[in-house]
Amino acid sequence: MSMSDTAYSSERRGRLSRHVSFLAYDNFRYLKIALAAVTGAIVLYVAVPPYGSRYGGGWAGYTLGTVGALLILWLTWFGYRKRTYDPEHKYVQPHAAAAAAHQAEDPSRLARRLSAHVYLGLALLVIATLHTGFHFGWNIHTLAYALMCVVIASGVYGVVAYARYPRQMTENRQNLTLAQMQAQIVALDAELRRRVMPMDDAMATIIRDSLDNTPIGGSMWRQLSGHYPGCGTFQAIARLHALPDAGPNAIDENWRLLRTKLDEKALLVSRLRRDIRFKALMDVWLYLHVPLTFALLAALIAHIVSVFYL
Amino acid sequence: MEVDVAFLSRRGTALMRRSQRASGERVRIGRGTDNEVPLNDIHVGLRAAALVLHEGVLTIDRLDTSPLEVNGSLVETAPLRPGDEIRLGPYRIEILPPPEGCDGAIQIELVQPAGDAAERPGGGTGIGLARSGPSKRFYAWTGFLIITVVCLAVPIAVFSSGMLHSWHKDTPNAKLPSLVGLSWNPGSFSNAHRFFAADCATCHQGAFAGVADATCLSCHANVGAHSPHGVALAAVGDKLASLRCADCHTEHRGIEGSVISKASFCLDCHKDLKEAAPATGMEDVGGFPNGHPQFRATLVADAAQNKTARVQLGGSPPAIDRPGLKFEHKVHMDTANYPLLVQAGRAVKGCADCHVAEPSGQGFQPITYKNQCQSCHQLTFDAVALPWQDARVPHGDDVGVIASVWNYYAGRALQDGSSSSPADTQTQVSAKTAAALRVVFDEKRGCALCHYSTGDKGAWDTDKILADALPPKGNPARVVASVKLPVRFLPNAVFDHASHRGQTCESCHTVAAAVSNGTERLMVPNLDNCTQCHGTENASFHAQSTCITCHVFHHSEFGLMRTSATGTVQ
Repeated sequence: MSMSDTAYSSERRGRLSRHVSFLAYDNFRYLKIALAAVTGAIVLYVAVPPYGSRYGGGWAGYTLGTVGALLILWLTWFGYRKRTYDPEHKYVQPHAAAAAAHQAEDPSRLARRLSAHVYLGLALLVIATLHTGFHFGWNIHTLAYALMCVVIASGVYGVVAYARYPRQMTENRQNLTLAQMQAQIVALDAELRRRVMPMDDAMATIIRDSLDNTPIGGSMWRQLSGHYPGCGTFQAIARLHALPDAGPNAIDENWRLLRTKLDEKALLVSRLRRDIRFKALMDVWLYLHVPLTFALLAALIAHIVSVFYL
Repeated sequence: MEVDVAFLSRRGTALMRRSQRASGERVRIGRGTDNEVPLNDIHVGLRAAALVLHEGVLTIDRLDTSPLEVNGSLVETAPLRPGDEIRLGPYRIEILPPPEGCDGAIQIELVQPAGDAAERPGGGTGIGLARSGPSKRFYAWTGFLIITVVCLAVPIAVFSSGMLHSWHKDTPNAKLPSLVGLSWNPGSFSNAHRFFAADCATCHQGAFAGVADATCLSCHANVGAHSPHGVALAAVGDKLASLRCADCHTEHRGIEGSVISKASFCLDCHKDLKEAAPATGMEDVGGFPNGHPQFRATLVADAAQNKTARVQLGGSPPAIDRPGLKFEHKVHMDTANYPLLVQAGRAVKGCADCHVAEPSGQGFQPITYKNQCQSCHQLTFDAVALPWQDARVPHGDDVGVIASVWNYYAGRALQDGSSSSPADTQTQVSAKTAAALRVVFDEKRGCALCHYSTGDKGAWDTDKILADALPPKGNPARVVASVKLPVRFLPNAVFDHASHRGQTCESCHTVAAAVSNGTERLMVPNLDNCTQCHGTENASFHAQSTCITCHVFHHSEFGLMRTSATGTVQ
């Protein structure tokens, strides 16, 4: 085993152990806090019924609602702090205060925040549900609740995705970086281009399809599915086989060369697309989590204002 | 032929031009290195096209399947003039005026380099979701703005702009504001308020103001007070006065509507009302069934004085009603006591023979002589009938009794055509009247059977009565004591017989024995009877019962709850 292999596997172990550690941070400290909060909320809900039916009012209802609203603000604030967290000093902080804030951040604080964010976010689901008194309707109040549920559900997906995909991603990459895979494809393309140049037009057309029409990335759906119907490279391989003089007897030097190179390219393209797919699967939940958090904040404001306005 | 071939290439702003001569029978253009003009790109055919001189005119011919475009149109062959533009694969070929000694001149430039796509697969722009569409920030602010505008700004604008109107019977229901209100409406309306549910401003009349009592009073003007006016309630009274209608009556809680019915709401005051407001005469209530005081029936203490008293049921002394009437249920239920009437088909078979339910079924119609007693207790006093009617005294008019008997015998005397003097006739009539009245008043079958007289302790002093009354004179004295028959014995509760009609009467009321001189214990069931079926408001194995199951908050007999828009107690 080479030195780089050793370094790689220790790095990999470290990363995996950190995945466990944010959920288990400080011996599940925030899980315990969240469970205590949930228990307190349930006790409050059961033990302090209002005079009327449970509709979020009464001091128990208002307490649950206030705690829920403050939790939403605090959980949102986490997103802001996470954005300013910058371990590699990649981004220049526009304000001195923000710079000071980011210098105060360290990875263990981030793990602590993430742990608290996840567990208290889950506790919020219970607290807010009790605040509803299990009454739902087609109104701004239930809209706020539904948005909150989707935000939390997408966050749960994010936790699962972060626990699941990095390992698959590492296995798929086979020690290659994204840039290395891209560079290899570029090199293969260049070779295919060079090799096919003197060959006849039938071959050139086939290779041209692979060169021109092998999409990587693209729309959100393509990146998430990793499915590219009509991909030029795979079509090229099929068409190469369909050539009239193809087959076991057509031991043509050119044909074999192109076939080998196209196969290499197909393998790399598939791996690259899988890599992009894993990355997309790890990122896509944020497209619900973040925008719907903002929608939730708006609905929360409207909910609170409307309740006390009239 | 000889063609001047120039290659243009750009590096940033720098322009490089390399020119060479190509000569031959024809000048071929293509990917193959054997072409006179090799174009080293895979998008160009191996031998794509050729320049020839056709009758002295420079012409381009397409040789293979590569699309050949001259001045924007696809062609097979085309004559060329200086200024023409050829597109072949990624190359643009311009025709220039031929220099001296040449048949033509072309200038070739690679305008669509293959590099971009080749250098980085996916063009370097499509990897990562951030590059696949609008940013999260865009979605976030769009959603935030839409919800803020639609669900907050527009409802507030509509509400504060005066576009909302109170419901009025002459104006059509609102349509637009109801749509706006829809997003704020926390729950569906009670059935009674649905007819104005679209007009939010009917109840909601100011920002952050809540629904004022005046709004409720604009329709519900006749709501009864909770306590009699003028009774000192001390701090409890302040609490009562500070209650808003909406504290008890909630809206947007579903079609059933919602009156707060939690016992604790009432108990807040009633748990120590005896100490906090002794003037009310109320007992403390700690809950139901535990903590509820035994029922106190409102009984007639003295019918003549029209006095009532609240007496605890099931205690000692026993609760005895004194309506001024000698009556025993047991005597009536035992048919052996009146065999002749039984023969005549007048046996009392059950409670309903006398107790007739109100049309609503809640309570019973008042007991009256005419409806309940007369069919058996007929007030005839002489078997001989006058032509117009039986000899019968009227009921309910004790003074008229004496007069009617006297009139009867006076009439008989006239009918007989007596020849004696008026004085003699009057003496005879008085004697007959006195004899008949002794029967009418007697306690075997007459008034005294049921009624007390105005004498000492209700005794019938018939001699004195007759001496005072006969012969007739002005302003005769009352002879029958007053009767007061209560309709309800527990007037502070709202017991509904209709909702208990599946039960037999005897399951709650047992026929009591007489305790003294024609009086009997009250047959109204006590608390223990109710708690056999009724339990707490959260009971699982009893009927759930809260204060307002039996009691009402608003007593119209106490006057109005609120009389002014400011909601003060009168």
